[in-house]
Amino acid sequence: MVQPLVIYPDERVNIACTDVRAFNETLENVLEDMIDTMKEHNLEALSAIQIAYPYNIIVIKNGDSYNEYINPRILTSSGKFNSTEKTLYYPNVEVTVPRYENIKLIYENRKGEAQHEDIKDRKLSATIQRKIDYLFGGNFLDKVDKKTRENILENLAKDNPISATMDSVCPTFSKKDYFVSFTDKLLFFMGISLLMPLFNISKEGLANWFTYDKFAFPAIIFLMIGFFFYAQYEAKKYRQCSSCQIGNNIGVIVKRITVAILFTVASYFILG
Amino acid sequence: MARLVVMGGGVSGHTAATFAKKWLGKKHEVVVVTPNSQWNWIPSNIWVGVGQMQKEDVVFPLAPVYEKAGIDYRQAKAVSIHPEGKEGDDTPFITIEYTGQNKEGQTDEITYDYLINATGPKLNFGATPGLGEGSNIGKHTVSVCTADHATHANEELRKVFDRAKAGEKQKIIVGTGHGMCTCQGAAFEYIFNIEHEANKAGVRDNLEIKWISNESFLGDFGIGGLHMKRGGYAASSRLFAESLYSERNIPWIIGAHVSKVEAGKLEYELLDGSTGEETFDFAMLIPPFSGVGLKAIAKDGSDMTDVLFAPNGFLKVDAKYDAGAYENWKASDWPRTYQNPTYKNIFACGIAFAPPHGISKPMSSPNGTPITPTPPRTGMPSGIIGKAVAHSICDLINKGENAKLHEASMAEMGAACVASAGKGLTDGTAAALTVYPVVPDFEKYPGLGRDLDYTFGEIGLAGHWIKHILHHLFIYKAKLNPGWTLIPE
Repeated sequence: MVQPLVIYPDERVNIACTDVRAFNETLENVLEDMIDTMKEHNLEALSAIQIAYPYNIIVIKNGDSYNEYINPRILTSSGKFNSTEKTLYYPNVEVTVPRYENIKLIYENRKGEAQHEDIKDRKLSATIQRKIDYLFGGNFLDKVDKKTRENILENLAKDNPISATMDSVCPTFSKKDYFVSFTDKLLFFMGISLLMPLFNISKEGLANWFTYDKFAFPAIIFLMIGFFFYAQYEAKKYRQCSSCQIGNNIGVIVKRITVAILFTVASYFILG
Repeated sequence: MARLVVMGGGVSGHTAATFAKKWLGKKHEVVVVTPNSQWNWIPSNIWVGVGQMQKEDVVFPLAPVYEKAGIDYRQAKAVSIHPEGKEGDDTPFITIEYTGQNKEGQTDEITYDYLINATGPKLNFGATPGLGEGSNIGKHTVSVCTADHATHANEELRKVFDRAKAGEKQKIIVGTGHGMCTCQGAAFEYIFNIEHEANKAGVRDNLEIKWISNESFLGDFGIGGLHMKRGGYAASSRLFAESLYSERNIPWIIGAHVSKVEAGKLEYELLDGSTGEETFDFAMLIPPFSGVGLKAIAKDGSDMTDVLFAPNGFLKVDAKYDAGAYENWKASDWPRTYQNPTYKNIFACGIAFAPPHGISKPMSSPNGTPITPTPPRTGMPSGIIGKAVAHSICDLINKGENAKLHEASMAEMGAACVASAGKGLTDGTAAALTVYPVVPDFEKYPGLGRDLDYTFGEIGLAGHWIKHILHHLFIYKAKLNPGWTLIPE
């Protein structure tokens, strides 16, 4: 029987699906419903959750027949490429996301027999990866940055067609590190200033170092405030990066401010 | 006066023995038989394995603690259980062989009224050719299962770091050493701690770090995955795990049974029946677990091990062992009281009880090799079960044979897990995850079998602080310092 499709903004698509445990009539009915729905809408591929069945099942059209993959897992994958994709759940949305070219799939057939298949066609491979993401409660918008995603969702609300590209989920270098790096340099020279009385330096020289410390301390505080807000902005942008967690950022700030306070107090007594 | 004998002094046995002694007081006797002279907070061994802690930080001597508590401590290995006694004497007893206290090698018999089997697992390195012999680790790989193993692992790891520092490319493999392993969590923590230390040492560029495990998807952890709330729904730990591994540049091999280990090389079989091999300069592979090999002897001296123990060597308890195929698995198959069905005065807790079946979906390769994580029994459930069993036995002793037993089913128990991904006061990270119940209950919670209201997952610095605080808290508790009973399991 043809079933209604789960289409944005229906949130049931985010349900993480369960493995099929019983290979019985219920399963056959689900598979028939999936195939009927695919025929009706002329679909190339479908995850069970896209017709609101929370099971780990995907069906892929292969010529005139339909390949059924029950409890599929991607065993191995290789060869990353940027795949430009559309999906039924978000109508008229096109995004470019990283996918693997070759995958090795293990799954079961409708009798519950273990099967495996090497998929070397990059288009089919990407389709299967996209469908499997649904089974685990994800979809391709998880693979784009937050700004792009918000932009897409905003336009969806307005019914505009959208196209976006995102080639990296998580940056290897973050601009917030500039704040940290500059702060560390200021701290380094504050540390050096404390050692100055050990050398034979004139009173004016020491006074100059003390002045440096007096300016460096508030500068560090401002840098850390700046770091905090910029890091919050980045955390929103790259939501999957663990290095963007607020706990990490607060740790970075507390450590540096503590050192700055200690240096300033020491500087007051030693140089001032 | 009744005597309770506890075999094993790990997380579960130690919890059971100390609570039982507290509740039974001086009127009754509690004996602990354990071959180890020291208690080990196993979750912190991974930090010993990367040199962030010393062995001394994760162990302490048991003798003074038991002396303070009034527990009779025998540093000995339990050899056999005689639940019916012997000819002419019906009193049940166990035989032990001393490993310390200046009686090494001597054997003894200890009679009991109640017996708790909390021996933990035998580290079955011998199951994979080349991984080791019996319970002894081989020379090709390292382990973090004991504090001594972890110390050795760190020494080997430093050699790899030194070579990497000198500009040599090095390859590290971490994961499970057999298709039927559990404890993926420990390997997960170890690989990310190595990655973290490599970055700190400035040698990451010369290291290739790779994961190998028997999970059918990344983030399975032997419990069929965890779920993290997102909006009103829960996403699988696979999404979180894959993004973490990619972010830290750690490629993975999953669905793998390590079939052979040689110097610098391992062979594996995948779930699709294909085989492969990997070379390595350093490998930490978790061994599979089995029972410690205790024998059960009938009154007439005949072997009755199969009455008391399941084929894998773990003690049979009140679980449903004939559940059959995966589709028939139910939450109610899991034990509730941990009492042996044949001998009502014998209980098991921690890893020593025989689980009815797995938690993750059972899978095997076309060649028939089972490649499925076996169910983990981590510190928190082990402690809770140990305490429940101690409570039951105290009631049996104090209130009589008909006292109601205390229950602690893993299908009604949540577990909080804090998995370290790097140690450091300001740059550490850990994943904090909760799961309820540990064993999915497909009848109560249709679909995933878990209650998503109690599901939580987050990775960050705060998680690391929690993990570090727990380290001190649990060692404080295990030393029976003031207020120890207030600290939860």
